[in-house]
Amino acid sequence: MGLISGSGSFTRYRIKGNPAEKFLEGLDDKIGHHTFRNLTEDSTQERSIGWVNVMDMFDNRFSELEFLKEPYVAMSLRVDERKIPATALKQYALEAEERIKVTENLDFLPKRRRADIKEGVKLRLLKRAIPGSKVYDMIWNYSTGNVIFACTNTKLCDEFHELFLKTFDLHLLAMCPYTLGSGFLEKKGDSPDLLDGLSPSNIWGEA
Amino acid sequence: MQLLEKVRKTEFLGKEFLAWLWFRTETERGSFKLDDKTVEIWFDGKITLQGENERGLETVTCSGESKSMKEARFALAENKEVVQATLVLDMGDNQWHFVLDSLWLNFKTFKTPKVMQDKRDDPDGLFYEKMFLIEEAVSAMDGIYAEFLKLRISPEWSGEEIPALSRWINEGK
Repeated sequence: MGLISGSGSFTRYRIKGNPAEKFLEGLDDKIGHHTFRNLTEDSTQERSIGWVNVMDMFDNRFSELEFLKEPYVAMSLRVDERKIPATALKQYALEAEERIKVTENLDFLPKRRRADIKEGVKLRLLKRAIPGSKVYDMIWNYSTGNVIFACTNTKLCDEFHELFLKTFDLHLLAMCPYTLGSGFLEKKGDSPDLLDGLSPSNIWGEA
Repeated sequence: MQLLEKVRKTEFLGKEFLAWLWFRTETERGSFKLDDKTVEIWFDGKITLQGENERGLETVTCSGESKSMKEARFALAENKEVVQATLVLDMGDNQWHFVLDSLWLNFKTFKTPKVMQDKRDDPDGLFYEKMFLIEEAVSAMDGIYAEFLKLRISPEWSGEEIPALSRWINEGK
């Protein structure tokens, strides 16, 4: 369940610079290049990531421009992943090693060969694994330039950042005490350099 | 200075903000006047503090129903810094619950007031109502942080605020 449908955690960003004047035109094409694609059955692809409808994670077509909810562009980042449990992989790999030792009449398999067997087993198991799906809502208020991404995991936030750039050709600035503060100062007409001169206060008073 | 370096160098701002906010909620009922709105905020439940000593980084997490949060106040008085706090924001007839962290000021386990619209009947209505509630809370927290920052870069910070804050912190021993 995403942030819009339920509750959750989120990271905040601000668009760096301004989007082109008529950036909404052709947005469906741009998004279309990065929509979510299902992992096909029988493939060994481990992961798929892309945009889906924020109100319906099974809709990746946006046939009626559902991403546009003025003044927002809202979508979910869907991540599907096939995972093989480590113990299952270990067991299947050991069984495969045993079979090969018997067939080839070997007492011992070199490390390299064991790694190849494990990789082969992993690919075979991946085809049987059902992918797990997760969605993370993304809401861009293009009238203010603020963006919310419903995730606080650094690795996934980096992936989101990258996909946002690829899709919209716009850089994001992550919000933190410094970037938020410099934004307030700029709005007031003060220099953000005021923050650079600050050092930690001794809030506990004199020892 | 590169942005990342600046972010790291000013990491203390988030910790000071949470400590100051706690102090304000305990001493002035956490009431803030933002434009035409009055916002009340209070610490509720779990709070995490961190401090470094010769043995390395120490983390103290306190949770409970007690209003005085005695153990957490003691940890603060023992030079630990607030790195995460559970907050309740009250504005008009609405209440928001969330955890705020000091490093990014990210909102975690964010709960808005109950949304009246039904997803099946009017999905766009639900979206707009939810966005209004999210942006209202974010904007209120931004307003409070801006108020802190205004004070933090003014002479009042070291002249009046720090002595009062220190006194309150040391009362927790």
